[in-house]
Amino acid sequence: MSLQNKPTTALTGATGFLGSHLMASMLTTGYRIIALGRSNKEGTLKERIFKLMRWFGIEALDGQLELVEIDFLKPFLGLPESEYKELCAKTEQIIHCASDTSFSERKRENVFKSNVASLKGILDFAEDSKADFFHYISTAYVAGTGVTYCKEILSSAKSFTNVYEESKAAAENIISRFCQKSSIRLSIIRPSIVYGDSQTGRSLKFNALYFPIRSAQSIRDIYLNDLYNNGGIKAAKNGIYLDKDGYLFLPLKIYLPEEGYLNIIPVDYFVNATIKIIENCSQGGIYHLTNNLPTTMKIVAKYYEQLMKVRGVEIIYGLQPDNLLRNPAEELFDRFIEPYRPYLSDKRVFDRTNACLATDNLNPPEFTYEIFKKCIEYAISVNWGQSIL
Amino acid sequence: MQNNVNKPDNISTPYETARNCRHYAMCKIDFLGSGICDSGLEKHFVSFYPQGRMILYEALSENKISITEKCIEIADSCNLCGKCDYQCYFLNEMRPTKVMEALKDHVATYIKNGGKVKSAKEDRILTEIKKIVGENWATNDEAITITYSHDLSPISDPKIPDYVVMPNTKEEIASLVKLFNKNKITYTIRGNGQNLLGFAVNVGVIIDLNRIKTIEFDEKNWYVKIGPGVAAFDLQKQAQKRGYRINAGEPAALVCANIMCSGIMSTFSTTYGINADNFIDAEFIDKDGSLFILNDPSSPNLYSYKNLEHKNSPGICVSASIRLHPVIDDERGILVPFQTLTNAVDFIRDCAIRHIGLALGIVGAEYISTFLSPTKKSASEIKNIFVDKLDIPYLVVVIGDKYAIRTISEMGYPFFDQRLFNALYMGLPSLKSAQWMDLIKELSDDEPYSYLRLKSFADLLETALSPSPALYSQEVDPELRPFFEKLFYKPEMTDLVWLNMYRIMSTRLGRKKPFLPVLIYLPIDNALINELNNKFRLIAEKFNIDNDFGFITPIDNGKRCIFEYDYFFDHNDPEELRRIRLAATEANTLVDEYSVKTGTVKGHPYVLYQGFCRKENLLYS
Repeated sequence: MSLQNKPTTALTGATGFLGSHLMASMLTTGYRIIALGRSNKEGTLKERIFKLMRWFGIEALDGQLELVEIDFLKPFLGLPESEYKELCAKTEQIIHCASDTSFSERKRENVFKSNVASLKGILDFAEDSKADFFHYISTAYVAGTGVTYCKEILSSAKSFTNVYEESKAAAENIISRFCQKSSIRLSIIRPSIVYGDSQTGRSLKFNALYFPIRSAQSIRDIYLNDLYNNGGIKAAKNGIYLDKDGYLFLPLKIYLPEEGYLNIIPVDYFVNATIKIIENCSQGGIYHLTNNLPTTMKIVAKYYEQLMKVRGVEIIYGLQPDNLLRNPAEELFDRFIEPYRPYLSDKRVFDRTNACLATDNLNPPEFTYEIFKKCIEYAISVNWGQSIL
Repeated sequence: MQNNVNKPDNISTPYETARNCRHYAMCKIDFLGSGICDSGLEKHFVSFYPQGRMILYEALSENKISITEKCIEIADSCNLCGKCDYQCYFLNEMRPTKVMEALKDHVATYIKNGGKVKSAKEDRILTEIKKIVGENWATNDEAITITYSHDLSPISDPKIPDYVVMPNTKEEIASLVKLFNKNKITYTIRGNGQNLLGFAVNVGVIIDLNRIKTIEFDEKNWYVKIGPGVAAFDLQKQAQKRGYRINAGEPAALVCANIMCSGIMSTFSTTYGINADNFIDAEFIDKDGSLFILNDPSSPNLYSYKNLEHKNSPGICVSASIRLHPVIDDERGILVPFQTLTNAVDFIRDCAIRHIGLALGIVGAEYISTFLSPTKKSASEIKNIFVDKLDIPYLVVVIGDKYAIRTISEMGYPFFDQRLFNALYMGLPSLKSAQWMDLIKELSDDEPYSYLRLKSFADLLETALSPSPALYSQEVDPELRPFFEKLFYKPEMTDLVWLNMYRIMSTRLGRKKPFLPVLIYLPIDNALINELNNKFRLIAEKFNIDNDFGFITPIDNGKRCIFEYDYFFDHNDPEELRRIRLAATEANTLVDEYSVKTGTVKGHPYVLYQGFCRKENLLYS
């Protein structure tokens, strides 16, 4: 498709996980992208985007990518008026992907500032620009807690697992009201938990699915070091030992409140489905990019044991007994996974009607050992993101 | 013999090592329990300690002085035992023994080549001085006088005195003062040369008080009367033997001189106080050579304080009765981490107002990494780990009894207790390669440092870091490893209470470069502290001076605090000396402005010679 046939797209969050993958894919499929963002301590917007582009293997952009440093909280996005007008004149659609993904209650103020208060700037821009389509990247978990079947409709939930979900639900409602009032078409794209590329294992971010694995790996390495270099005294004290076949026996009982699923999708599916929605869905709507074949922590634990040559991981559904004696590894692991625990045994089921229609029944792959292995081996090869860019 | 300018880090030759001596006088106290220079103990002049020999060798290398009789005696008196290597390496990563060897070689070669040995000519004044103190305790030999030409101040230029005298009694001091008055000779009192304003160097006569080391305990009345030659470390040691504690300044600082110059301050000042809180009484020889006792109603009122005014010395402090404090069996130390200075300040104010803890102090990442690390390189790496990976730019050191520690726990603050501190300290080399550190920071996302609450965190940390003196000692010079490994098996070397009592680590702050502390007293007011912290930083940046937050200790029930900001400089770089002087002047002007503007900020330089004042007069008048 030529540049002429694709709407010039202003994209926020282009330096983030989902935004960068989306940008890379849209650029390769012929979109002209205006990345709106800011410099930070890691570098200028230009430096950060160019690093990302190199990671994606994109070099010649032929005027397809424009970078604009903006501030959502300032009038005219912090741009001189003339530049702002110029930006408005060439923007044909907006994808708002920027988001603070912190779950921390302590960061409530910042999360709401980033995800809700800053909307005014981007929505004013939407109104001032010639864009007639606004795409908002949200989360499937705006459905809130206490819901078992989550429809592709606006959330009216009152209780949420964390501040991130709450802020995204609030943002959806604000954006929806605004677009309705301004006659701008709106699509709300709600992915569940996104991991790396199912084909290559590559990823830019290693939280969510990766965090428990990384935590378990770290704990494993601590005890392996003790066994190999310090006689394993500490390991023995906690019932940790090396089996004859080289497997590490490391008792790790993981309590999850109830039997449920871990709904994860690969980033390649997210990107492909999102582009299909953007291109196919002329009237907008709400779309769940979730997995209809969700995995479970029991499966992930099995994969982990196989890949890391570990035994002793046990997933127990039910409440953890009071005064249960936890070994140091379990205590640390419990603390590591605490923010993610609600997503590890989730009973919610997601309606995918709109998403299936808009994406020609594109489905995410089942989470197999091969995919797990590819993703985790890539994560380890880049030191969980420490040596990636 | 070289005569070039080198960077402070370059200590590959004896000359370079010599000129990088920090002049902290730590080689005069046995802070590692490894012994000190035998000749120094016998001869007392600084010239016979490693510090003096470093200065002497530097001067000889630069042809500033000739080989004299004392020079030969100084060189010969070193038995190359290597004790100074342990001490100096521990603090500054330097090994003075090679300087001692070079000095001996230099002198031996000179004599072998038929060089003429210069004899210091004894003049009338010296003869008179010797009549008072004895033949061995006064000299005008330049090998001795040159070693009294430095102090810690970057502001003053070195000055070589004409004579150095070491009296042994207050009566001798009185006679000396009368002699100098009669002959109109300038004299300057010197402890261990730790003055930061250049007041311990001068022409004329230097009166070195290091021989008067009397220590008399009056346990019934909770004080110890000391002579002016007693160093803080030695006094603390004696007090501890008897089950007491004193409020001690820098370990090598002589206690009487310390009171006179600045008043004693430490993290224990939170409860033990500052200035007049630290002593019961004192004796002085006044300018006329007469004795006066501070508590005598007819004596000058040294309890008063005049702000923004440099006072003259009230005389020579020849003894002080220092307060003794009880030591409780269950005292322990903890480190409470904070992400911001503001939160740390709130915490210490809260503790001080509620009388929680015996000693409190906020230290920055520069302090903590320097104190913990055995080398400069390691300190730099550890600082990054503390700031970037552990997200600990500030730590509050708390020494308290079990009730205080329990209360802090109940207040909801996670902390490193003694066991965790040991693991962190002796496991430092492993910390640098610990992959799991990145997870620790993410673990703190919801509640900072919540991992410290895990019951088994200490066990995990020990498993992960494998802390041991052997591991820690891997970082040091291989030749010194056996010594350091043995040293760190001594419990006191990792005991937060002992380390705060004796403060042996604080000198390490000058390991990278010597430093000039900007010290002020002010209310524990976050806005004011942050404002001044920022302005001190901007001044340093303007003059391209390395700088960092130093420490804050609350005093007087949390009504005020002592705040230190540090400027670092290369004392061998004339250009950097020029800039540090400009920066220091501007910082002092800033403090004066705030002193006038707020009426509550007090600059430390004005305490010079007013150190015996009541803290209330200093802080509130």
